[in-house]
Amino acid sequence: MGLSTLSEWTGRIGELVIGASHAEGGTRSHVVRIGGERDLPYIGTHPSGHKPLVAYELADDPSLWPAAATRYIGDWVHDTADWAAYAEKEYTPDLIRLHLTSTRHRGFSDTSRIGTTIESVLQATRLPLIVEGSDDPAMDSAVYQKIGEAAEGERILLGTAEAGRYRSVAAAAMAYGHSVIAQSPIDINLAKQLNILLRETGLPSDRIAIDPYTGALGYGFEYSYSVMERIRYSALKGDTDLAMPMISSATDSLTVKEVREAQGSEAEKTAVAWELYSMLPATIAGASIVCVRHPLSIAGLKSAIDSLWNGENVEGV
Amino acid sequence: MISVEKAAHAGKESLKSRMAAIGGSFSYEETAYHLPVTFALTGNAVNSAEEAQKAYNASAENPLVAGECLQAFQAARNGKESPPYTGFIPDAVLRTLGYSLVDGSILGLVLVAGSPPAPDTAAGLCRELQEKYMLTFLSGDIIQSLTSSGVKVGAEYRLVPLGSRPSSAIHFIDIIARVAMMFGGVTPGDAGRLLAYAKERAKAIVIVFPGLNDEEIALIDAFCLLGIPVIAAGDYDGDQWIRVQPADAVRTGMELKGIKVSVTAIPIPMACSPAFEGKSIRKEEMQVEFGGGRSPAFELLRVRPAGEVEDGKVTVIGPEIDAIPQGSAAPLGIIIEVAGKQMKKEYEPVLERRIHNFVNYGEGSWHVAQRDLIWVRLSQEAVAKGVRIRDLGTLLAAKFRMDFPDLLDAVQVTLITDEKTALAERTKAGKIYQERDDRILGMRDTDVDTFYSCTLCQTFAPNHVCIITPERPALCGAISWLDGKIAFEIAPAGANQPVEKGKIIDMDRGEFEGVNRFVKKASHGEVDRCSLYSIMEYPMTCCGCFECIALTLPEVNGFMVVNREYKGLTPSGMSFSTLAGTIGGGAQTPGFAGISKSYILSDRFLQAEGGIERLVWMPAILMQELKGRLVENLRKKGVESLIDKIADETKAGTIEELASFLVSVDHPVLAMKPLF
Amino acid sequence: MTLKPLEIYKLLPKKNCKECGDPTCLTFAMKLSGGKAKPEACPYLDENAKTILGASTRPPVRKIRIGVGERAITIGEELVQFRHEKSFFHEPGIFIAVNDTMTAEAIQERVIFVRDGILTRVGTDLRLSGIGIRSLAGSPEPFARAVGAVESVADLPEVLMAGDPAVMEAGLFVCGNYRPLIHAASPSQYREMCRLAKKYGCPLALKADTLDSLAELSGHCTAEGVENLVLDLSSPSLHAMLNASTAVRQHAISRTTPALGYPVCIDTSRGGHADASLITGVTKFGSVLVCDDLPEASRKAVLVLRQNIYTDPQKPIQITPGLYRVGTPGRDAPVLLTVNFSLTFFTLQGYLEASRVPCFMLIVDTEGLSVLTAVASGKLHEALVRDAIAKYGLAGEVSHRTLIIPGYAAPLSGRIEEAIGWKVLVGPRDAADIAEFLEKEWKT
Repeated sequence: MGLSTLSEWTGRIGELVIGASHAEGGTRSHVVRIGGERDLPYIGTHPSGHKPLVAYELADDPSLWPAAATRYIGDWVHDTADWAAYAEKEYTPDLIRLHLTSTRHRGFSDTSRIGTTIESVLQATRLPLIVEGSDDPAMDSAVYQKIGEAAEGERILLGTAEAGRYRSVAAAAMAYGHSVIAQSPIDINLAKQLNILLRETGLPSDRIAIDPYTGALGYGFEYSYSVMERIRYSALKGDTDLAMPMISSATDSLTVKEVREAQGSEAEKTAVAWELYSMLPATIAGASIVCVRHPLSIAGLKSAIDSLWNGENVEGV
Repeated sequence: MISVEKAAHAGKESLKSRMAAIGGSFSYEETAYHLPVTFALTGNAVNSAEEAQKAYNASAENPLVAGECLQAFQAARNGKESPPYTGFIPDAVLRTLGYSLVDGSILGLVLVAGSPPAPDTAAGLCRELQEKYMLTFLSGDIIQSLTSSGVKVGAEYRLVPLGSRPSSAIHFIDIIARVAMMFGGVTPGDAGRLLAYAKERAKAIVIVFPGLNDEEIALIDAFCLLGIPVIAAGDYDGDQWIRVQPADAVRTGMELKGIKVSVTAIPIPMACSPAFEGKSIRKEEMQVEFGGGRSPAFELLRVRPAGEVEDGKVTVIGPEIDAIPQGSAAPLGIIIEVAGKQMKKEYEPVLERRIHNFVNYGEGSWHVAQRDLIWVRLSQEAVAKGVRIRDLGTLLAAKFRMDFPDLLDAVQVTLITDEKTALAERTKAGKIYQERDDRILGMRDTDVDTFYSCTLCQTFAPNHVCIITPERPALCGAISWLDGKIAFEIAPAGANQPVEKGKIIDMDRGEFEGVNRFVKKASHGEVDRCSLYSIMEYPMTCCGCFECIALTLPEVNGFMVVNREYKGLTPSGMSFSTLAGTIGGGAQTPGFAGISKSYILSDRFLQAEGGIERLVWMPAILMQELKGRLVENLRKKGVESLIDKIADETKAGTIEELASFLVSVDHPVLAMKPLF
Repeated sequence: MTLKPLEIYKLLPKKNCKECGDPTCLTFAMKLSGGKAKPEACPYLDENAKTILGASTRPPVRKIRIGVGERAITIGEELVQFRHEKSFFHEPGIFIAVNDTMTAEAIQERVIFVRDGILTRVGTDLRLSGIGIRSLAGSPEPFARAVGAVESVADLPEVLMAGDPAVMEAGLFVCGNYRPLIHAASPSQYREMCRLAKKYGCPLALKADTLDSLAELSGHCTAEGVENLVLDLSSPSLHAMLNASTAVRQHAISRTTPALGYPVCIDTSRGGHADASLITGVTKFGSVLVCDDLPEASRKAVLVLRQNIYTDPQKPIQITPGLYRVGTPGRDAPVLLTVNFSLTFFTLQGYLEASRVPCFMLIVDTEGLSVLTAVASGKLHEALVRDAIAKYGLAGEVSHRTLIIPGYAAPLSGRIEEAIGWKVLVGPRDAADIAEFLEKEWKT
């Protein structure tokens, strides 16, 4: 009989490239591709599209970063470039995601420092980069222009566009050749709407990654999980407005009560478990990039993803 | 009066002969796009006179190509003009400019060329452009004119002086061409894509003053090809040139390209936010009130031609707040006149309903009811802070522009506190309300080609698709066909999308090809067919928000309806909540449908099953709510007696009691053809 | 495919006899359609109707019980492939394994940990489900002893894991009356395993190399008269496991291969990925998950993940209404009103904790609706707030009389103010803005 999974999909997830090699005008040692799937995640003897990737998140101002994440890294956190280089070498994530938390301080205006930070991180690591800018509409224009400019040629993934404020992010992506993270609040229709709005600015669909927003495990994760499954399902059913790869980050994982209240070494273990138990399910629901903040989460996630991905060389059931 | 046609003809000849006369090599620096206009139009990279001639020929002697080649040639020969003139703008600067355009911090690009009649005219025009977030490029004498009257020019002032001669206007086009290639994905040599991009996406306008020579007129006239409107504030007579008074030039140009300035702050001494919406103003806190049965008051929103509405204008007819005794009731007429290219008469009532929200947003203003039943109060606290009646007008004008930026170009408000005028205007308004009611009541599904969808509920009912027609509102009762239409106009990417009816498959059941196509796609392939007027075959899916459930009672060959508010058991043996739990969630369940209350009053209700005569039961509270209008409907159909044959829980609580009740009243279902 | 209510109604006797317990045949049809009733409840079905209804109203994934008493679990009876389509119904049992080479004390320690460990979240007690007992020694006596050691301290559901029918029988001799899952029958010994399953009335897990042979094996077992089956899809490769469990669910739901219409069992110790294997099992259709030692952090995480995935998406998790404290609020601390939708509660709580302003959260019962929907549907109203303030004695807790309400509840501010006689402040719409709001607006 040859019983196997039943696939009757017509759609395909678009492909998104992050990073630019020397030949392409950038300085990355390798570029990554995500998306391209024609079936549910990991399904098929040779799963379609590209394998999900793990991004390690860090911040230019560690004072606005969860203690559970910075504690383990230690002194490296005081220099963003050193931090990135150290993480690349020690923990080998697929990407680095830099959060410009310095922009969150009230009255922030030193955009030139952002430029310096990005340039130094680009020099310190050869990995493709995701950069998160400000979250205040009042400074978006200046901040995103600076990020776009500083990373020109490197084809970074730039976050985060939202329905109310997407123009600066889109403009920076278009002016300097980057891609955009489009975030909507756990709602498939709003995700779709934002993609359409971004397209209307002139940003091509193959430069958008959907972030459906991910709640931490136990704190609304199930909503995010199902929205990711629905977005993937709709895309495979042929809805091209949702056929972009997804990025997921359970942002609050390291500040949930369970992690905060765990004692001693149990705190590290709980932090890692909380990230693994939300980010691996996220890839199963359809996320192409999952992001973690605890460095020890990276290896476990990567090897689990490998095992889920590799159909060859393994006996049947 | 200069004939543009004649001048352009002569200009082209002159450009042609000058093109033939150039020689040597020349190019622009700091650009990857060679001579950008020429490169974009023809795909030719020009570095010499020979190549220039070739490209010019390839472009069929386009004046833009000639203008650019000659400009580059001269710059190479004579050097760049000295500051403040910028000449050719490098790519790096342009990238920032493109950023600001997408980002929205500049709304559009304007070129002003020629010699303004008086320095004040130019200064006023440029100030207006600055205020409206336009990036302005200047060519020719206008620059002298501005600097002599003390206006500062330079990129930081959003006034970019391109060159001392109007021929430098070609740089305006090389900017647009490069933006198209950098941001719009236009490939060099693809003139068609370039023209389309310039026409549809580039928000660019040109304003010309007198003083252009033939060549310059030929050049500017060629801008029209790119869909850039040429606004003539001088004695030019051309087919495509729009002649205006200088004072109207900016407004006209912006309207033509649909460029709108968004309003962000409301200049009134009263906070304005949805947070204040629920605050009421009690009698003892009130400074003055209007309407509420104590004085004549009404509100009316009307669409007017663009020329008749001055944006932001507020007029108060009658006494202001200080002339009205504290604690008294004064007359009030609120007349809002709006203009907008997309605005249609039928949207008036929907927008008018927003007056209620907007007035309540004010911290110190309060509003209830609608039309000539309104009741408005201003608080003592607000008045003490300086709020006047006029401020209500300013608030309304601003909020309408803020919330409907795409729909409305201009809003003006008239507030009438003079009793005699208010009464007279209220009488006129009364007629308009009546006309509107007649029009909406009379609207039929057959009058329109397009229905509207609603997929808001897909959040929890993943495959549910509501189709909203004039005769069948959304099953939640909250969205009419008109609401859907306007929601789509306001948010074209939103949850309400137009649904082409397409070919009729079965008029009785209300099945249409276009609707089926749409439903199939929007339900992610789960629902193939949808009949709008039938509950037995392919009924619409149900989310969970329906006001009522209509279902078949097979034992009595009829239908019952139960509304959400009714908590008891129904003759079906089930309560509303049990039924809702089974049919909700986006499934299609033949024999069951979620419906709105007002659909019961529609002629399309149960059309395929035999109409309202199939209705055998509904709860007493629902009957009470609908009775007046239902009796009217039945009377029109000549079946008035049916009203007493529809049972409720007092007449029949179970299916057995219902069966005997129907026999006792000789309900028409007894004689109708069996449902199965 | 599942029949619609009216299609079922047509097959019913249409007598409204009420003998099924429902007032009308239509009601009964609705229940059958939703899998909430069994055709046998109708005494008047003809044979044709029985056949059709039996096939189409039976859950596509068979319902199975493991264990007896309070901690017994039900698995299977699933209707959908994605939880958003309706819901996943019976959460998987998580079984901690012991083996027959361990000392009785070591076994008992682990069993007690499973028996007594409770994680309380959102008003629900989360526990591990039971014990898997592995035969490693390969002979009956040690296995029986191990089962005995388990039985001596707890009556938890069990999975007896032995491939040798003789060993299995020794275990069943000890605990067979408590409905353990027999793990597992294979093509070579299924007859004997079926005999044991019938003798003790236990569910039986099946193992085979491919899905095809598994389907074939399940056919053989049902022919032997054993219908309560579980399919073992364990594999060292997570890829193989996920593909197999997805295929099984797809074939079951679409009813294309009824022989695969059974719950799935996964032994997570097979690869080197115990956590990942558990995660895959919880998210993708596992019903019996056996794992060796489970560290504390993983235990918490898997219990929470299981709770998340098996929450009914159409019925949000609700928080018990009441007065909650953030930090140690004094008598002048702010009071924030919100609804009992868990996501709203947790989000607000998180931001309040981050704001480092001690305060009270007054949670009112909106039946789990979010603020926006509770306001729109009238579930959040002034009387509810007034009653909650009285019920939880708020007036005695604080010295001020100010209540902060959610931004989306602004339309109710006036009415709430009137009903409770307190000053009402309208807070932000987004919980993320609460810290800034408190900093700017909160003065007692």
